[in-house]
Amino acid sequence: MTIRLALFGLVTSFCVGLVYLVTAPLIVESKEAARLKHLYELALPLLETGIIGLPVAVNLPDTAPAALANPLIVTPITDTKGLIGTIFPFETSEGYGGRIQLLIALDRARHIIGVRANDHKETPGLGDKIEVRRSDWILGFNQLKYSDMEPAAWAVKEDGGRFDVFTGATITPRAVVGALRDTLAFLENHPEVLEVGP
Amino acid sequence: MTIKSIWLEGLWDRNPGLIQLLGLCPLLAVSNTLENAIGLGLATLLVLVLSNASISLIRHLVNENIRLPVFVLVIGALTTCAELLIQALDYSLYKSLGIFLPLIVTNCLILGRAEALARRESFMVSTMDGLAQGLGFFLVLVILGALRESLSETLILVASPPGAFITLGLLVAIHQSIQNYPSSRLKKSSSEIKENRRVRTTGEIS
Repeated sequence: MTIRLALFGLVTSFCVGLVYLVTAPLIVESKEAARLKHLYELALPLLETGIIGLPVAVNLPDTAPAALANPLIVTPITDTKGLIGTIFPFETSEGYGGRIQLLIALDRARHIIGVRANDHKETPGLGDKIEVRRSDWILGFNQLKYSDMEPAAWAVKEDGGRFDVFTGATITPRAVVGALRDTLAFLENHPEVLEVGP
Repeated sequence: MTIKSIWLEGLWDRNPGLIQLLGLCPLLAVSNTLENAIGLGLATLLVLVLSNASISLIRHLVNENIRLPVFVLVIGALTTCAELLIQALDYSLYKSLGIFLPLIVTNCLILGRAEALARRESFMVSTMDGLAQGLGFFLVLVILGALRESLSETLILVASPPGAFITLGLLVAIHQSIQNYPSSRLKKSSSEIKENRRVRTTGEIS
């Protein structure tokens, strides 16, 4: 009977594996579609005059924070006069459930147009409030600019900053704010990174 | 077991959501919107039909000792498949169902049907029972979801978790009063027997 149980384990695992192989490409597609939807949402305020350009891979200097992938894929938004904003991904591995992937849109003067959480494994009902569909928290970054605030203010309230945490979930907002602060601080010193316009 | 009695039990007499009160966790948590309710209801229905069918097919291969691990294995595999499929077909639904999609594996309705029925009955009867019970669960989930979504703007309480409890309680009460009405008027003696049947059980009714 032990062997039979092991066989059942093998057969069921095989079936799950089969379904995984069939669905894996579709899942990649739907994740990409969800990412593009976020990208479009973020670009929307600039689309009155601008259009979304083709993504450009930018090589970053060694001082770039871990929050930014290297090379960084920057999507430019341009109007007839040139670049008016950029959208690019950033991430943190400090989340409660590991990696959190986010998207951020900045205007030319590096004011935040918006931030969205793309892919994460944060606790449902607690940490997942970083999603815009569950809470407005992530909209709290809109219009802010790194140099308009004290550097110390770019932290959650528990660490003396100005951003709220969720009841029962401090780690997730701290991770997101931390990655955002690192990203913006780096871009303050290296604004040329985002000059990807035509 | 006749086909008629299987459907009657699943949809009304022993409805999983209103009489057996199985699978309360998703029933209360995911009934906040109609879309979520339909999504989770369909996923549960799919897993229940497939688990009843496959457990009935393998019923002669498992003995008492390995019965439970094998059932959990089957249900777990089916739930993972359902999760992958929903992720591939409707990513935003997958995102909004969140943790409750993998938690189908712990829905007592599914293991309950496997234990109570599918491990004894033929393939046809088991599949039919999975369909009937799953549909019964689906309907309660959808009614609850529709009620809560439509009432949530006028009555904030309904949208909250306690509101889910109260709304479900009202549905159970309505169901009971309809079921008791003719029996209390026509044949008083049989109502006592019916009372016994309402004990929450996943096993055989003696």
